[in-house]
Amino acid sequence: MKDKLTREEVLHVARLARINLTDEEIEKYQVQLKKLLDDVDKIKEVDLASDEELITPIDEETVLREDEAGEMLDPEEIMKNVPVSNGNFVEVPVMINE
Amino acid sequence: MADYKKTIGIEIHTELKTKTKIFSNSVNGYGKTANSNVNVVDLGYPGTLPTLNVEVIRLALKAALILNCEINKEMHFDRKNYFYPDNPKNYQITQAETPIGVNGYVEIEVNGEKKKVRIHDIHIEEDTCKSIHYKHHSFLDFNRAGVPLVEIVTEADMHSSEEAMAYVEKLRELFLYADISDCKIEEGSMRCDVNISVSKTDELGTRAEIKNIGSISNVGRAIEKEALRQIDLLEKGEEVAFATYRYDEKSDQTIIMRVKEAGNDYRYFPEPDIPFVVIDDEFIEEVRSSIPMLASERREKYVEAGISLLNANKIIQNRSLSNYLNKFLDGGINLVVASNILLGDISAYLNKTGLDIENTKLTDDKFRDVVNKLNSGDINSKVFKDILDDLMEKDSSVDEIIASKGIKIISDPEELKKIVNDVLSSNESSVNDYKNGNTRAIKFLMGQIMKETKGSANPELVNKLLEEELNK
Repeated sequence: MKDKLTREEVLHVARLARINLTDEEIEKYQVQLKKLLDDVDKIKEVDLASDEELITPIDEETVLREDEAGEMLDPEEIMKNVPVSNGNFVEVPVMINE
Repeated sequence: MADYKKTIGIEIHTELKTKTKIFSNSVNGYGKTANSNVNVVDLGYPGTLPTLNVEVIRLALKAALILNCEINKEMHFDRKNYFYPDNPKNYQITQAETPIGVNGYVEIEVNGEKKKVRIHDIHIEEDTCKSIHYKHHSFLDFNRAGVPLVEIVTEADMHSSEEAMAYVEKLRELFLYADISDCKIEEGSMRCDVNISVSKTDELGTRAEIKNIGSISNVGRAIEKEALRQIDLLEKGEEVAFATYRYDEKSDQTIIMRVKEAGNDYRYFPEPDIPFVVIDDEFIEEVRSSIPMLASERREKYVEAGISLLNANKIIQNRSLSNYLNKFLDGGINLVVASNILLGDISAYLNKTGLDIENTKLTDDKFRDVVNKLNSGDINSKVFKDILDDLMEKDSSVDEIIASKGIKIISDPEELKKIVNDVLSSNESSVNDYKNGNTRAIKFLMGQIMKETKGSANPELVNKLLEEELNK
């Protein structure tokens, strides 16, 4: 059993999370992430009484909502919480490079 | 290169026709103003929780039943995790493990040959927000965020662009008729992703995915183009990359967007905020009984009644006309005459006025009456044209409208016989033409009689009398 993740594994996770890491951070996370994964493996060892899938602590079925419209937000109010807006649009850095 | 075989699978996303969004009670509709149909759930504000719309389950179930799927009676939702600005929660709620329907099929017909396209699954998910891209920034409109979708995934069962187009057309027709979706491909309420590979052997080649193709005809064009591109690469001894493309209509080319992320990079896990959804048999039967007569059955019935396939298809393309005609399927009127006037003068009137047939004064009784009168020859098509506006706009009966227009239909054989003989004696040369074997001369004589009677003669009767007199 290895004691840390590879550099590539950490970079892969970082890419999925869209974050940049310094060399120092990469080394730190190689160890820390491995520790987390080991903890999860330990949980897996628990012998469950039934194999019934548990997706939520609530036993009840979902309560379905009737298809009736409720109140919505004023676009102006929404834009107050948006870092950069343009009229009624939320503006973000360009998403597609061609 | 004829020795390469194409293998095609299709994923279609269709927006469901609900009043509100899937997990929030904000309005499902592209408002004129950006970000006006939005609430805190759609924006993924901290602490908000999803509440599942019952109508979404109903419509998705209807779709699954129409696609002949096995139904998952106990299902849950899953989170698909990815970071992208179109998705404020950083995960999309979808069904990865327990799609509402699995193992279904759709029957298509290409060049007279019927074929089943198997449906791998149909699952429910939420739409992302709409992004509009500019050179240096992108704009986001969350009106679309949380709009309910079903995604229908086929097996790789299609082998030509014709089959692929027939499948998309069939699915659109099914969903449109069952009132599940608007299915407007051009406006994005139905979106097609095509997976295609080519191979010379039974082993499948590496596939490319062409995303978001904007029309049914472009589905065909994109497949042909992408197949050629792949064959060209393979012939040069190069490899096809496992990647995502889009089809550019202007250049008629498939353009690479990104090399695909592997499925497990989405780190799916069950959505803990939505407990199990349980569907019972009673609910399934209630939804099944709400499925209206679908297009293929309508087509069969129309053709059985003697309507040409061309006209049957034309009526089916207009659901409101088709629903109208269906009220008379049980008999009592000549459906061929009925379909002819619906597609002809009535459609022209509806196009001109922008009305729906249900919003006119053409009641079922009036329609039945006027079709019977046309069928028996009591009125002819010219008279029908003359009274059409009144039929559509006035409460009066057909007889009252005819009388008010001062239109008199000559159906008295004695009266007509006199006119026929007058016309014959003043057109001796045409009579001789007819007797010398030029049967077309009868049309000219018919025209003269109609002119004489200002179109008010019963045409069938005139025809009968003419033939009698000429063959004396």
